[in-house]
Amino acid sequence: MPEMDQIVPVPREDEDEDDGAEEEATEKVGTECKPGADSEEGEDEKVLKFLDSFDAYLVLIDSLSSALRQGWLELACARHSMGSSRISSALFDHKVRSAATTLKVTDSLDSSLSEPNPHFTLSKWGTQEDRCSSEEIELDSMQKKSNQSQLRHRAASNILGEREESNSSGNGPQLSFSKDVQKERAKSLAVFGTLVSPKLRTAQSSFETALERIVEMANARSAMLSAFTQLQLEVKGSEDTTREDTV
Amino acid sequence: MAGRTPIQTINSALIAMIADEDTVTGFLLAGVGNVDLRRKTNFVIVDNKTTVKAIEDAFKEFTAREDIAIVLISQYVANMIRFLVDSYNKPVPAILEIPSKEHPYDPAHDSVLSRVSYLFSAESVASDRR
Repeated sequence: MPEMDQIVPVPREDEDEDDGAEEEATEKVGTECKPGADSEEGEDEKVLKFLDSFDAYLVLIDSLSSALRQGWLELACARHSMGSSRISSALFDHKVRSAATTLKVTDSLDSSLSEPNPHFTLSKWGTQEDRCSSEEIELDSMQKKSNQSQLRHRAASNILGEREESNSSGNGPQLSFSKDVQKERAKSLAVFGTLVSPKLRTAQSSFETALERIVEMANARSAMLSAFTQLQLEVKGSEDTTREDTV
Repeated sequence: MAGRTPIQTINSALIAMIADEDTVTGFLLAGVGNVDLRRKTNFVIVDNKTTVKAIEDAFKEFTAREDIAIVLISQYVANMIRFLVDSYNKPVPAILEIPSKEHPYDPAHDSVLSRVSYLFSAESVASDRR
């Protein structure tokens, strides 16, 4: 048929060009998406890190508040039983003495941070907090339990035996640590007289707990401020790039 | 990174306190009290007779000392010298605001939280306080 023969297919050169243009556009979009996606992921990660540290700080404040409330209550009970004149600031003499509980301040190991990030470690009663406090509590509890029954005494001696095996230096230094800690505690209590109310002792341990929370809070604070600074830099950087793109 | 000043390691740093009598008593029981050769203490007890000037002087002294790593300050005391606390921005000593018996902790007044909270709201908390 002559009409059929006259039908000429449309040349595909334009289509090829369009496809090529579309491919280039998609490639361009693809390449634009990748660094944008990476920067968004990095920003999200920093936001999450900041929010985690913020949450940790708030939780620690709550924990500190409850430890302090407990300590104040026990102090009030001790004042009630011992008398208000025996527990007052008038007893604090200004004799030269050094603090038994101190802190160790070190720089954060993260060198990628642009802001200084201090790390605080508590040293209670002149000892390392993490190891000795837990061992000392166990030793105290074991000593109490061993006085009560044979089974418990056996259990305590078993635990003592395990501890001797686990520690190469043996039990002596740990007991001496415990004795030193008890001495330091007794010195602090001696300011209020030789015979003090048991409530004063429990107040002492409540405030020791509060001290631990405070050190954790200090570390959480520095982590939060560091995360906040990084986030600020990230946001500022992305704002600058968007401005450049619009220009 | 370049330009980052490293923090000097301090082995036996102190905790300073500017707080009410019961709080200071409690922390002294925990072994934090220190009196040096010049009879200078690391604590200041704030009562109704303590002046704002005395609190300011204590804050400036504790933040200038190199042997102090943390300064604990009751939040109601910090509110008396809020401008000074908010303008403080060194990493060490760290300033921590703590509650007191009569004044519970208010996160809206915490200097650190107010610094970062503007991320969550359009207006800063400091402008709300003003």
